[in-house]
Amino acid sequence: MSKLLEIRGLRARIANGREVLKGIDLDVAAGEVHAIMGPNGAGKSTLSSVLAGKPGYEVTGGTVRYLGQDLLAMPADERAREGVFLAFQYPVEIPGVNNMYFLRAALNAGRRQRGQAELDAQQFLKAVRERLKLLDIGDDLLRRAVNVGFSGGEKKRNEIFQMAMLEPNLAILDETDSGLDIDALRAVSDGVNRLRDPARAIVMITHYQRLLDYIVPDRVHVLADGRIVASGDKTFAAELERTGYAYLGDAA
Amino acid sequence: MLMTDDSAPFRDAFDQVLATVAEPAWLTTRRRAEMDRFALLGFPTRRQEAWRFTDLEPLIAAPPLPAPPLPAAGGGDGPAPASLAPWLLPAPTHRLVLVDGRFAPALSAGGALPTGVWLAPVAETLRRRPDMLEGAFGDGEEAFAALNAALFTDGVVLALEPGVVLETPVEIIHHTMSAAHARLHIALGAGAQATVVETAMGTGGGWGNTVGVISLGAGAVLTHLHIQAEDPAACHTAAVRAALADQARYEACALITGGRLSRRDMAVTLAGDGAQFRLHGAYLLDGEQEATLSVRADHLGLGCRTEEVVKGVLAGASHGVFLGTVAVAPGADGTDARQLNRNLLLSPQARVDTKPELEILADDVKCSHGATVGSLDEASLFYLQARGIDPETARRMLVEAFAVDAIDAAGLPDALAALARRHLRRWLDGGAS
Repeated sequence: MSKLLEIRGLRARIANGREVLKGIDLDVAAGEVHAIMGPNGAGKSTLSSVLAGKPGYEVTGGTVRYLGQDLLAMPADERAREGVFLAFQYPVEIPGVNNMYFLRAALNAGRRQRGQAELDAQQFLKAVRERLKLLDIGDDLLRRAVNVGFSGGEKKRNEIFQMAMLEPNLAILDETDSGLDIDALRAVSDGVNRLRDPARAIVMITHYQRLLDYIVPDRVHVLADGRIVASGDKTFAAELERTGYAYLGDAA
Repeated sequence: MLMTDDSAPFRDAFDQVLATVAEPAWLTTRRRAEMDRFALLGFPTRRQEAWRFTDLEPLIAAPPLPAPPLPAAGGGDGPAPASLAPWLLPAPTHRLVLVDGRFAPALSAGGALPTGVWLAPVAETLRRRPDMLEGAFGDGEEAFAALNAALFTDGVVLALEPGVVLETPVEIIHHTMSAAHARLHIALGAGAQATVVETAMGTGGGWGNTVGVISLGAGAVLTHLHIQAEDPAACHTAAVRAALADQARYEACALITGGRLSRRDMAVTLAGDGAQFRLHGAYLLDGEQEATLSVRADHLGLGCRTEEVVKGVLAGASHGVFLGTVAVAPGADGTDARQLNRNLLLSPQARVDTKPELEILADDVKCSHGATVGSLDEASLFYLQARGIDPETARRMLVEAFAVDAIDAAGLPDALAALARRHLRRWLDGGAS
């Protein structure tokens, strides 16, 4: 399998602040699902922010190659158009911007980048209906402004719906399970599972083992104090559940 | 009196007006009084509280003067009809175009009027029905309104008899190339209803100085959309005075994007019980533009409502000013008044002054006012970019979302809302950064 994402010695800090990532090495191949786990403050969200190009972080060392390109050299919007998707831990409410209008602008921006024809209103609606059906969600979310008045679960489902529409090569799910009750977690997980694809890599960042009961990963990594300190296959997650991070931290 | 005063540049124009108009003696007397009043007052200065934030220098330095009337035969240098097209309402209207403050029949399309409706230029009204305008000129006007009353030659009169509902909107285009002192008189009888769209535009950096006098009878409803889209070098001053009887409703929407210097003063008197005044609006400015929206609502009756929501978008080195006063008279119990002014600064050089005020002399009232000044939300910008939308488009989407609310919340009829949105998009395309 070809390497979709190659991270080598990645170091980053919060702008003018402390160093959070202290040398990350990670390879992700197309078709794989990786879980990155770890305690609070380990650098999980910083990693997803740096990969997505969020302002406020400084890369101080290392490289990230995405489909052979220098990912860190691209602005955030270009990364997205090239197929990198971040499902936000806290999706942003944007009053006055209609969800459908926003999504069509995003979708067509990506299509332009790839040299594809833009979808007209009718083609776009057709694509929307297909994805809604795939993810088994109602269309009431679409009439509202982006994330405005959505419950926590609705926001997370909207993220997965956007992922389904934008069809990224690399999806980074940042604590997508946080704040969800068991029904919402199941619904979101089912959505993600339906979006698993031999051409797509998924990196899910989570604090909790329970997400991995629903989305079974190919690889599990433990991030502690800015480094990946242990990795394993899906059985490793169950082991972690028994032993906890502290033990691993000592062992690392 | 001093040898020279602010009225000096206007004396010739004033004599010309007196020489050319044929009008009742009471009006000529009125004009002389107003000219004297302007000579006494002069242009407002920043020492006056209400004008503290407004820089009139671009106007006072060289006030544009009214051009001589176009030849009656219609030769002239008026605007080409096609140049008006982007500004017209996408629906049937009764259209009156004023070029430099004078009715231009060739550009207008009045259409047949239902009975009980008087819609005509001011000059024609003064010829045929001068009685309709007697008493429509206020005493003790502010300087700009006084100058308007002295120098006006034309304008529009809309009068509806009680109970008449004028379905088709009245569309008034002010096209200004030199100077225009136009008047707008609207009088709706009890229960009458009308919709008026007023668009101010032009070329060549002129000066539009309009006065609107509105009187709404019991239960009358006036919807009034004002689009100020003057030439970027132009000056625009407008005073609107409205009086509302019992249960009357004045639904106003103002979209201000044009002019180097712009000032709109609205004074609304809620005289009857249960009267309602709603104003939704936005000023969207760039470059060196300055715009002031000054609104005073006087609550005299019982149980009246005022709702003002004004948005400001300020790019470049522009300056926006919102002055809002709600005054509740003794005994005006049950007043419900809300004022909100929200501003978005798009550049470090842009400025805003906002002053919502309450003067409450009654006991049982519900009043709120607020003002905010902020910049585009970084988290929202990143969210849009994280979905592949480029930074410029992302900013535009957020600015449009902020401003379009002023139009949506106004609850305008579809065609008017479409016109307003079209104008907002034109502004966004023209250089919001």
